[in-house]
Amino acid sequence: MDYSLYIATVLGAAALLMIMPRGRRSPLPKLGGLLGAATLGGLWLYLARALPEGWGISGGAVAMTYYYIFSAIAVVSAVRVITHTKPVYAALWFVMVMLATAGMFLLVGAEFMAFALVIIYGGAILVTYVFVIMLAAQAAEPGREEQTPAYDRVAWEPMAAVVAGFLLMAMVLSVVFPAPGLALEPNPAAAELSDQQILATTLTHRTPERLAHPGTPQPAAGSSPLAAQARQVTNVERIGLDLFQGNILGLELAGVILLVSLVGAVVIAKQQVPEESEKT
Amino acid sequence: MPLAPITLAPITLAHFLLTGAILFALGMVGFLTRRNMIIIFLCTEMMFQGIVISLVAFARFHNNVVGQTFVIFVLTIAAAEAALALGLVVLLFRRKRTLDALAWSQLKG
Repeated sequence: MDYSLYIATVLGAAALLMIMPRGRRSPLPKLGGLLGAATLGGLWLYLARALPEGWGISGGAVAMTYYYIFSAIAVVSAVRVITHTKPVYAALWFVMVMLATAGMFLLVGAEFMAFALVIIYGGAILVTYVFVIMLAAQAAEPGREEQTPAYDRVAWEPMAAVVAGFLLMAMVLSVVFPAPGLALEPNPAAAELSDQQILATTLTHRTPERLAHPGTPQPAAGSSPLAAQARQVTNVERIGLDLFQGNILGLELAGVILLVSLVGAVVIAKQQVPEESEKT
Repeated sequence: MPLAPITLAPITLAHFLLTGAILFALGMVGFLTRRNMIIIFLCTEMMFQGIVISLVAFARFHNNVVGQTFVIFVLTIAAAEAALALGLVVLLFRRKRTLDALAWSQLKG
């Protein structure tokens, strides 16, 4: 029985508990940051130790370096999102989480998802959040203009929340990590088979190369579709075919959901509310 | 023909699931501890990020793009939820002039 991951979980929970804002000056957050960084480093070293032989020689070492960099950025930024006392900075740290996630998507060959994530999250959702933070800014208390309101400076029930969150994480890890050796590479034969199916469904006169250069000669009939088109299937082609062949009803429903939420947001936002006189 | 030009040989599925689990747990802790209503919804977006990482890793692992197409739907729901939730937050802010979630604790009954 390997307890290292559970030890790392407990140490990480203790570090997060120390970083939580308390509304007064204390050296605890800095200590917690050190402990958290040490825990993360130890966890990464442990994961690297559990890797199979020969990882330092193959080209996968580059990918692994990128994985650790992106993952560390994501985790550290996530901690800052939930502990920063200024909402605007929390939103900006969330942009860092999103960018690190997009980097990890590039690593596993999901280019379309990476750019969709940056465009939709960074370009649309986060801008909405920053706008609302700006609109809902509260007037500062007189005499302490630099400080954010008390509900941003003091965490609420940090002990119970950290215990609940990290219990959940320990449970997930106990499911994931009995078999740490599952490689992420798909079976190459299966990959080629699915690529051939995709190439067989796309029209030969509408490939990206042919649309870009209309003068290219037609491939000879009778050869296999992969050799006839002599090209790689891109990630965008795969997603497009799956989206419009298998999930067409879901796509329509997504459009309906967006329309309904648009109407709902307008209805909610244009209501006139009477301001309550008593302050809580 | 490899699925992607970069080989991932030493990285396993568990690595990505670990990152996804950490992001989900941190988002949940933030959801429970923060009292600013905007940050609470930001933390739900962070939980979405953890789920999305797991989905894309599984898509690579099983060699189909269903996981990636599902991410599109997750993004759609996240956008719709952000629009509605932030509209509600602005409404609540106009009523009490505060973003404190505890100001609405009378909803507990």
